[in-house]
Amino acid sequence: MSKTLKYAYYPGCASQAITKEANSTTLKVAKALGIELYDMPKANCCGAGLVTDYDYDLSLALNSRIFAQAEEMGMDIMTICSTCLMVMSTANRDLQNDTELLKRTNEVLACADIRYNGTVKIKQLLWVLAEDYGLDNLKKKVVKPLKNLKIAPFYGCHSLRPSDALGFDDPERPWSLDAVITTLGAETVEYDGKTKCCGFQMDLITEDTAVEMTGKRLLDAKNEGGNCMVTPCPFCHINLDNYQGMAEKKLNLKIGMPVFHLAQLVGLAIGMTAEELELSRHLVSARDVLKESLIV
Amino acid sequence: MKIKIKISRCDPMGKGWCEPFLQAYDIEAKEGMTILDALHLVKDVQDGTLAFRRSCRSAICGSCAVNINGFPKLACKTHLIAEYKKRKEIIIEPLSNHRVIKDLVVDFNTFWEKINKVEPWLNRKTAISGQRSAVSKQTVLKINNSSKCIMCGCCNGACNTLEIDKRFIAPAALAKAWRFVGDVREVDKKKRLEKLSEAHGMWDCVRCVNCTQYCPKDVAPLQAIERLRAEAINQGVIDNHGAKHVESMVDSVKRVGRLDEAAMTFKTLGFLRSIGMIPFGFRMEMHGKMPMPLIFPQIEKIEEVKKIYEEVKKRKKQAEVKVEK
Repeated sequence: MSKTLKYAYYPGCASQAITKEANSTTLKVAKALGIELYDMPKANCCGAGLVTDYDYDLSLALNSRIFAQAEEMGMDIMTICSTCLMVMSTANRDLQNDTELLKRTNEVLACADIRYNGTVKIKQLLWVLAEDYGLDNLKKKVVKPLKNLKIAPFYGCHSLRPSDALGFDDPERPWSLDAVITTLGAETVEYDGKTKCCGFQMDLITEDTAVEMTGKRLLDAKNEGGNCMVTPCPFCHINLDNYQGMAEKKLNLKIGMPVFHLAQLVGLAIGMTAEELELSRHLVSARDVLKESLIV
Repeated sequence: MKIKIKISRCDPMGKGWCEPFLQAYDIEAKEGMTILDALHLVKDVQDGTLAFRRSCRSAICGSCAVNINGFPKLACKTHLIAEYKKRKEIIIEPLSNHRVIKDLVVDFNTFWEKINKVEPWLNRKTAISGQRSAVSKQTVLKINNSSKCIMCGCCNGACNTLEIDKRFIAPAALAKAWRFVGDVREVDKKKRLEKLSEAHGMWDCVRCVNCTQYCPKDVAPLQAIERLRAEAINQGVIDNHGAKHVESMVDSVKRVGRLDEAAMTFKTLGFLRSIGMIPFGFRMEMHGKMPMPLIFPQIEKIEEVKKIYEEVKKRKKQAEVKVEK
């Protein structure tokens, strides 16, 4: 790589609290890869779609406040949360496509002396690895190929849709996570749930439906021969890992599918230890799968 | 160019169920041909027993929605060669989430039942008389997308909640509901929103964005759902987990600039159901994942966020006054 990659880093709320291992391992892995991530201490929550459910104008203004900070820093935003990615990208699409809307939003922001010029790009760690950093460069960093792992890539809705706002992967035949997995030396698994929903947004609303949805995705992956899963989204991780026990109870069978954050999987392949990658924070242990695959 | 297309075949013959299988047909694809043209070609020349719905051939009637290579699309709006070049195969199956009657024909009764549930008509103060009721362009634009729906069922076919919960009202009906809730002339908005807030209603959308992604007419059902939800909160229809979930998020961002997981769980579920979460919480805690009341500091310059909230609120009020005038 000729130029050092620099991003305004937006981990999102979940990755700073309930799934904070996603954040800490991303920082470690980025450092090891030579990707520079810069804090955004002023950044507010994107609203996770819930603020959009309350007031669209408020959602636009809050997201623009985040974008304005990245503009000040002169960098694009990199997030490790697909929901943040989707919410920010749709807001950004609307603002960039509609100068009247951008003007109106800036009139709101003027109350706090903020201005967004519409120049920021929003990326997901996954895309940064697959494109900006590049698979060839990633391959050079692999010291412990993840042989014997059969990984089900769980993209999550908000890494794929709406594709006109995200503008990166193919929503029907996504490739980026598959490509990262094979670059790390593992095998990928094709399964029905690959582009489907984990159920997270319904956890606190209609838990039954959410849990059944989670179980179905995990089971599909298992039935197709997957021995673990990876997701670039902390919300998907909450459901696939934390709610897996509930899903097993509901479906009345054992699934036992360890689920990695994207950064953790990269970390394993570039030689980091399970402790460094905080794998013990997961409810479904990855120990057996990794032992069988001779990775730790 | 010769293309092999595979079509899902299934004929329950009154038995109610059969195992679908893929049948392959070789066809001579010509430039400009659509998937629907290909289906016609198969039926006319090779196999008269193939069943599929179609009518206008111009993406207006909404009859020919099928799964093409796994995703719902109008057969008449999808180019055969382009799709084949993109995917290296053509697999045509019936729309998901609907019972198959024969081959590609699915039972649309459940679709219409859902549409009927939202009472797809306008309730006005007075019966339509000779006088005109003028509606501004701006207010029409709010519901314009919903009016474009051709009832093809692509959104319901792709809906992830409907896949799990057959009773879910689903995106097509919700987009239609917004057509009327968002209409300035409608008088029963609140009643509609109360009904839509019941179980299996609008708060059960899991935001998978499939409806908006696969709508062939840019209806953007998810946006309609977001607007319905915002309108419900605006009208005070908030006695349900969905609305409480939104309110606790809006409140949390205003207070500390980010999501306060513990407060959100508590506010969404209420006291009793939160107690039910304690065993789960303990299991989470063993891995350091108990949602704790926010202990990390609020974001820097939170006062900017508060100002933005006030400003948006002020502008909304001004806009409402303007509409009333």
